[in-house]
Amino acid sequence: MKKFTNLLFKEIRELINKQLIFSLLFTMIIFYFIGQVTRTEAKRAETARRIGVLDLDKSAISRGLLDNLRLVRFQIEEFETIDKEEALRQAREKNLTFLLVIPSGLNEGVEKLETKEIETYSFLRSFSIGQARYSDIFKIILETANNYLSNEMLKKKLPEISPENLKKPLKSRDFVIVRDKKAEASASAIVGFMYAQSIFVPIVLFMILIYSSQMVISAIALEKQNKTLETLLTVPISRSAIVAAKMLAAGLVGLLSAFIYMAGFSWYMKGFTGDLAETAGGITKIIKELGLTMTTSGNLILLISLFLAIMCALAMATILGVLAEDYRSAQSLLLPLMLLVMIPYFLSIFTDFKSLSLPVRILIYAIPFSHPFMTTQNILFHNYRAIVFGILYMLIVFIILVILAARIFSTDRVLTMKLRWRRREVVL
Amino acid sequence: MGVVLEVEGLKKFYGQFEALKGISFEVKEGEIFGLIGPNGAGKTTTLRIIATLLTMSEGKVKLLGYDLKENPEKFRENISYLPEEAGAYRNLTGLDYLRFMARFYNFSPEKTADFVERAIAIAGLGNRLKDKVGTYSKGMVRKLLLARALMTKPVLAILDEPTSGLDVINSLEVREIIKSYARQGLSVLLSSHNMLEVEYLSDRVALIDQGKILAVGTPQELKQRYDAPNLEVVFRRIVQ
Repeated sequence: MKKFTNLLFKEIRELINKQLIFSLLFTMIIFYFIGQVTRTEAKRAETARRIGVLDLDKSAISRGLLDNLRLVRFQIEEFETIDKEEALRQAREKNLTFLLVIPSGLNEGVEKLETKEIETYSFLRSFSIGQARYSDIFKIILETANNYLSNEMLKKKLPEISPENLKKPLKSRDFVIVRDKKAEASASAIVGFMYAQSIFVPIVLFMILIYSSQMVISAIALEKQNKTLETLLTVPISRSAIVAAKMLAAGLVGLLSAFIYMAGFSWYMKGFTGDLAETAGGITKIIKELGLTMTTSGNLILLISLFLAIMCALAMATILGVLAEDYRSAQSLLLPLMLLVMIPYFLSIFTDFKSLSLPVRILIYAIPFSHPFMTTQNILFHNYRAIVFGILYMLIVFIILVILAARIFSTDRVLTMKLRWRRREVVL
Repeated sequence: MGVVLEVEGLKKFYGQFEALKGISFEVKEGEIFGLIGPNGAGKTTTLRIIATLLTMSEGKVKLLGYDLKENPEKFRENISYLPEEAGAYRNLTGLDYLRFMARFYNFSPEKTADFVERAIAIAGLGNRLKDKVGTYSKGMVRKLLLARALMTKPVLAILDEPTSGLDVINSLEVREIIKSYARQGLSVLLSSHNMLEVEYLSDRVALIDQGKILAVGTPQELKQRYDAPNLEVVFRRIVQ
């Protein structure tokens, strides 16, 4: 055991080098910086709701419309002119983003049930997300204003009827059923929330698998490149302990790197989504009612599934590492493994595995890394058979791969196996 | 002097190719035994098999009576192998590398310190041992590796081309280190294509070519037997 820890610490020390620390720090800083900028832009779009208004009607209806806009936190800057071009010039001078032009005769139009055109001018000064958000918010406000005007029209013409009832004679109450649990909510809201909440799972999984595999494949390739493998193989430590130490060290450092990257990535994503807890509102309560929250045992199952997938990837990378001649060739040998991780990763993001045709599904299930991508959903929907199958399958694949890796390390192949494209070399 | 290593009818096949065609020799206690021959003769393959890196196809190899096939771990405990093209971990300092390697043989801090002290004396690298291996010259790395191989006082040190790639001064130093250690009772099995080097270092030598041992004896015996001034001429006469 002491020999194993000696080797394990050396492996970890070799993997955590200046280049790794620098690249991790650099990525985190970049993610944090982009996230902060995006967030600031988004906040600015939400708070700075200054718009210019040219009211050519000056009627009760137009005043009502402006009051309605003020109610939803728009800061109105009115221009005392009747010339549209002059209003545009002033808006540009004051660095406003929008100008709303209320036409004359709006009040009269409402009285006569005529459609009138409200003009909006957007000053596009950049292609930032904040600019786009501002525009979206403004559109929603216009819809609200339109709603207000139509209600006003209806109240005048049909005072005895509620405008809302007239416009929407059918109203819906949406319920979502998950297994035997029911809650009042729209399915799209639940799906959207669950998607936003669990979007990190496949990304974390993808990154951990790729990082760990890259670590182990590089560690073995570097032993070959630096001509240290032969010496290591002749010291009194079992070959299986060498394999295990390399896999464990790579797994631990890979895990650490992935978590650091994910912390940076979550800062970055917050810039787009905002803090989920702030925006979730009452939906978290509904999610709980539907039993769509992960319990401790659920998290434990996910962890087991993830751990087995990492182990499979490490065992596979160990075998590929033996084939590598040097560090550079190790990077190309990582490609098939990356492909096997990327297929289920992208499928998990863009589609439901169950909706795929049977041959494609069999192919996907045969990839051991597909199972942890499905685990979260399977836990939430209580598909225990699929979970057990996935865990057992990964365990079997891992055992086969690790036996294969240990056998390669115990034979001449660890020194003689080299993969050069279209050429196999034997060293004498 | 007791026999430390016995090699009998050692064969190695790579597919159809027979790299070793039944090699037999033995190494005695405190003896420096040299394998000499041209490139591709089978020297490295022989050493790699004894060092447990390669498996043998046929034959018997015994160290202190332990059979290689049955007890490879006993071999690893009692041998020390210096490959021809070896390196050390570039991110470790020379001292850390020695400590790391010493811990595989004995984990007690006192014993590890003893091993490292011995290695420091052998390597003769002084304060440079505190620097990372990545900053060392080829000669310094070779001395470090030789120190690593000898620090545990193994029963058998297997040295493949110990002065490979070194300049004259470094080669002389390395040869002196090997000689002085053998005087302390350490057995050495070394290989080289530099026949004059082997003649200087070895108590006995085996001339090997195309996977076969052509002659075994002390350098003096072989020179007398073939009426040659040195081993190079002995080898040429045997091959012709």
